[in-house]
Amino acid sequence: MKSADPIVEVDGMSVEIGSERVLRSVSLTVERGSCHCIVGPNGAGKSTLLAALLGRVEFGGSARIHWRGDGRIGFVPQRTEIEPSVPITACEFLALGRSRRPVFAGVGRRRRREIAYLLERVGLPSHADLPLSGLSGGELQRLLLANAIDPMPELLIMDEPTAGLDIEGSDRFEAVLANLRDASAPSILMVSHDLAQVHRLADEVTVLDRKVLQRGAPGEALAGIGGGGVYDFRGQS
Amino acid sequence: MEVFYAWIAEQARSGILPASFEYAFFVRGLIAVLLVAPLLGGMSHLVVSRRLAFFSAALGHAALTGLTIGLVLGEPINSAYGGIFGFCLLTAVAMVFVRRRSKLPPDTLIGVFLALSLGLGICLLVAVTKRFNIHQIEAVMFGSLLTVTDRDLVLLAGVGLAVGLVLCRRYNELLLDSVSPTLSRFESGRSAFNEYLFVVLLTCAIVVSLKVIGALLVEALVVVPAAAARNLSRSMRAYLLWSVGLALLACVGGLFISNHLLVPTGGAIVLSVGALFFVTLAMAGVRRRGINAR
Repeated sequence: MKSADPIVEVDGMSVEIGSERVLRSVSLTVERGSCHCIVGPNGAGKSTLLAALLGRVEFGGSARIHWRGDGRIGFVPQRTEIEPSVPITACEFLALGRSRRPVFAGVGRRRRREIAYLLERVGLPSHADLPLSGLSGGELQRLLLANAIDPMPELLIMDEPTAGLDIEGSDRFEAVLANLRDASAPSILMVSHDLAQVHRLADEVTVLDRKVLQRGAPGEALAGIGGGGVYDFRGQS
Repeated sequence: MEVFYAWIAEQARSGILPASFEYAFFVRGLIAVLLVAPLLGGMSHLVVSRRLAFFSAALGHAALTGLTIGLVLGEPINSAYGGIFGFCLLTAVAMVFVRRRSKLPPDTLIGVFLALSLGLGICLLVAVTKRFNIHQIEAVMFGSLLTVTDRDLVLLAGVGLAVGLVLCRRYNELLLDSVSPTLSRFESGRSAFNEYLFVVLLTCAIVVSLKVIGALLVEALVVVPAAAARNLSRSMRAYLLWSVGLALLACVGGLFISNHLLVPTGGAIVLSVGALFFVTLAMAGVRRRGINAR
């Protein structure tokens, strides 16, 4: 299927890790300015697909990204990939990739103002001096989103950003994401386990289980999932 | 330096400084610990953040084997830096290389390297003790101020400064790699480089500190200050400052204890920093109870 204005075009992507074939001839297209969700069971190769797009895994086939601006990708990892024992504050964490001055020497006044604005955008206005271990799961995930959206990327890639969050945490994350899309409409490629959320956010869905099972609008692509209990998705009815 | 030591001794004799300062070896020891404490204490918060505590223990034991290799190859016992640095560097790089390619848990792999290194060290030690007095080797294993020379101090200051400068320059990247290797790989693509760089810097810092703290006890000074500081810190700035401050307190305190009770310097420093750990643990407990009570 040829798309009118694609930002990401994946064609026949295959990934082998050791002797195991994790992805088999996967093709998908992400429309510019749209939110494209990838769903599938554990071990379906969803995170591997993102890793391949980010250049961290070798793959066969092709993946093209059509840039118009500065070609910046924002990446939101799963919050479980953050080491909780390091007593770094939210402000210091955001300064890591934005300041040449080592964070132990303090964050400069101008940089602090920029970070405060950024934290406000994701609904964490009074969290600058809190250590990451003092943030809830939802707050930490929004902090990771803040890190990914400054400067605003052309393509935002998120790996299960609301996995393990309670309903309130998940809803607040979605609200921040909705504001972001209203303000600047980045293209989003997101892995999610939450089918109800996918229905709310996605313009297009790819159902993956090592190969593409379904793709299309959420109502169409997810039509076969839910009744048969094939996947253990949150929000299934 | 002799003029300086003589002037300090004069101050001690006239009662301005404590009597211990009459001896040049004590003054050299004090300068040494004032250099070692910020170096190892400062690195300790990154060692703990990167979960390299056991790795550091293996590196300390590799230093013992490196010493015996240096002696077998004909290096002088008071400055077998070639053998120690060479073997520690080889062990550190090999551990990271294998860990990055193996599916085994990191502590299992480090345990394998530690066992191998100790086995080799003990075999060589038997050969070496035929040529050297065991007490000379004990000085390297447990640290001794008597063996610290002015040349060692210059080496310690030079290496410490170089390691500190590199760490300051790459601090944010190293820290991001400690907090989230996934994000670090995405943002800089230099996660592997950072990992190798840090273990090389850590090896340099450990090797030049051996005379003071000893090969078998050096691991304590690259882990315990940060463990104690972690009990008190709620930011990276506080974490680093507490790590350095507690290492300084333990090193200077340990030096005076060692001189007063005539026990090995390394052991006295480790006991001091260990005591500080439990003090900070109690302080953290009191603070937590205070917060809960509010």
